[in-house]
Amino acid sequence: MSAASSCRLVLALAVQNLGRRQSRTLLLVAAIAVASAVTFGGVVAMRSVVASMQIGLSRVGADLMVVNQAALTNLTDALLTVEPTDSTLPADALARADVAGIARLAAQRILRTDQSGLGGAGELVDLIGFDPATDFTILPWLSERLTGPMQPGDVILGAARNLPLGTQVVLFGQPFRVYGKLARTGSGTQERGVFLHMASLIGLGDDVQARTGAVPPMLEPANVTGFLVQLAPGVSELQLRFALLSNVAGIKVIVGGSLLTGIRQGLVALLGGLVLLVVALSASTAVMVMVLFSAIMAERRREMGLLKAIGARPGQIVAIAVAEAAFATAAGGALGVVLGLLLLRLFERALVHHLSEMGIPFLWLDGAGTAAIAALCVAGAALVGMAGAWFPAWRMGRRDTHDLLWKEG
Amino acid sequence: MLACRGLTKQYETDRGPVAAVRSVDLDIESGCYAAIVGRSGSGKSSLLGMIGGLSRPTGGRVLIGGTDIWALSEAGAAAFRNARIGFVFQFASLLPNLRALDNVALPARLAGTMSRRAILERALERLADVGLDSHAEAFPFELSSGEQRRVAIARALMNDPALLLGDEPTSDLDEQTEREIMALLRDISRSRGTTLVLVTHNLALAAQAQRIVHIADGVVVP
Ligand SMILES: Nc1ncnc2c1ncn2[C@@H]1O[C@H](COP(=O)(O)OP(=O)(O)O)[C@@H](O)[C@H]1O
Ligand SMILES: [Mg+2]
Repeated sequence: MSAASSCRLVLALAVQNLGRRQSRTLLLVAAIAVASAVTFGGVVAMRSVVASMQIGLSRVGADLMVVNQAALTNLTDALLTVEPTDSTLPADALARADVAGIARLAAQRILRTDQSGLGGAGELVDLIGFDPATDFTILPWLSERLTGPMQPGDVILGAARNLPLGTQVVLFGQPFRVYGKLARTGSGTQERGVFLHMASLIGLGDDVQARTGAVPPMLEPANVTGFLVQLAPGVSELQLRFALLSNVAGIKVIVGGSLLTGIRQGLVALLGGLVLLVVALSASTAVMVMVLFSAIMAERRREMGLLKAIGARPGQIVAIAVAEAAFATAAGGALGVVLGLLLLRLFERALVHHLSEMGIPFLWLDGAGTAAIAALCVAGAALVGMAGAWFPAWRMGRRDTHDLLWKEG
Repeated sequence: MLACRGLTKQYETDRGPVAAVRSVDLDIESGCYAAIVGRSGSGKSSLLGMIGGLSRPTGGRVLIGGTDIWALSEAGAAAFRNARIGFVFQFASLLPNLRALDNVALPARLAGTMSRRAILERALERLADVGLDSHAEAFPFELSSGEQRRVAIARALMNDPALLLGDEPTSDLDEQTEREIMALLRDISRSRGTTLVLVTHNLALAAQAQRIVHIADGVVVP
């Protein structure tokens, strides 16, 4: 028997069977479409969230923050920059103590002022001085920048400031060029902050004094506002915190890691839940297809007996039913992908807003990834349909042909 | 041509075993038209089902042209039925979503050995043999029950079977149509040399057969 031609016949009969009870076929397609839409939408959204989180978390490089013990701190904001405060630490405080377990160390100076000339009257602007050479928390957040490295006369703006790259901004009478902009971080300090070279910030000292009558303490070369610290591998936050507190007087150590761990654990739980949902959805859909096809097979038992009588093998009987189910469920899967895309559109705003509140810039999964998930949804729907149809068809195909033709029930 | 040896069928039911066919020995020569007659429940359908390879015997053998059909594998038996046996059923046995021509072509398409065009040409020939070539494009619901039965006969003949079987193939038709269909089957058997075995309870029609096999209580009575 020629495999190709008998295969064509099986497919032709399967397609024709689909057209026989159109409303039933459409209901099956619709049921599968709903399951597929939930799966597709959920997986794409989750993958996007995870990808965004991974990028977001990898950018948040600091594990600890060290500030003067008199400083007030806000834990969630403390991941990229130290808090603006007038209390300072000696610039060499940590270097002098030579504490082990530090992988990276970045000092920051922050001047919070409403006198810089930037922003409206009375608006407090954070001028954050950092050293691009040691920085590991700010530059990774650059979403756009001019070509070439950052120059001493350059500033980087937080995402909330709408000035195009290359524009000039004037701080305390000095011109600066907008070199880059940060992605959204969700933290007010950084969203509205102006980031500049440490040396440039110190260089503003005279101009600040001219306007305010004094040089603020953190603009003295000997002082910094605080330090951001990345742990060396194998060192725990607690260990380093203890080492720092016992070796350096007058400091406060803020640990950021627990926050990140919390987010990570939440994500893992969410992903696990999604996988469970998809598995449950697939299983219940397969059972539904099985029930439906048991009824379809019972309805067509005589027809199948007839096909067997004229020479169809049991395998071909099964193949017709399985192909029929696969067509319907694959169509449902594809429709579900379209529905899922619409759903994602619908929820996009809420999702993006939610994430940016957590300080994560939302990035949609790329086209190839989305297409792969779509293909998996269609293939998965077809598989679920095939699995569901296979069992009733297999049972029917094994029965005595004479019984199929003559016996009721 | 057709030989049954000790052919037995016993059904297991809730009320215990039912011996429907009991050790039947039967020989039917090639090209013969045989009628199986007997009271309802005597085992005619069970016997024909085993002869046609549709219902597995609980004992004995069925030899068709020397082939022990119940010794074949499942796939082998399917191929054998497809190539050598034609069935005419009592009920409307056409696939409702296929045209008359496609219904007739089905056995050849299942075999998959002929080209599509050759299959359709032959299917049209078979429809002409039963006088329905003008209805090739019609769907079953567009045909009368007599016409549907003719299409089913054309389909049974599609692969040139050596053996044509019918279990009361006309009992649901009106008398006039029944006579026409029986005449058609007889003519076909005669002109093609096809062995024809029909179950019927219409004794007047059975009288036209060359051979009458009486069944009572699962055994052949002389
Ligand atoms: N599938 C079956 N299961 C149980 N008993 C059956 C089955 N088919 C037929 N029988 C019994 O076998 C006997 C013969 O039935 P059947 O071959 O249909 O006779 P006929 O065709 O001559 O009317 C009857 O008693 C019938 O009740
Ligand atoms: Mg009967």
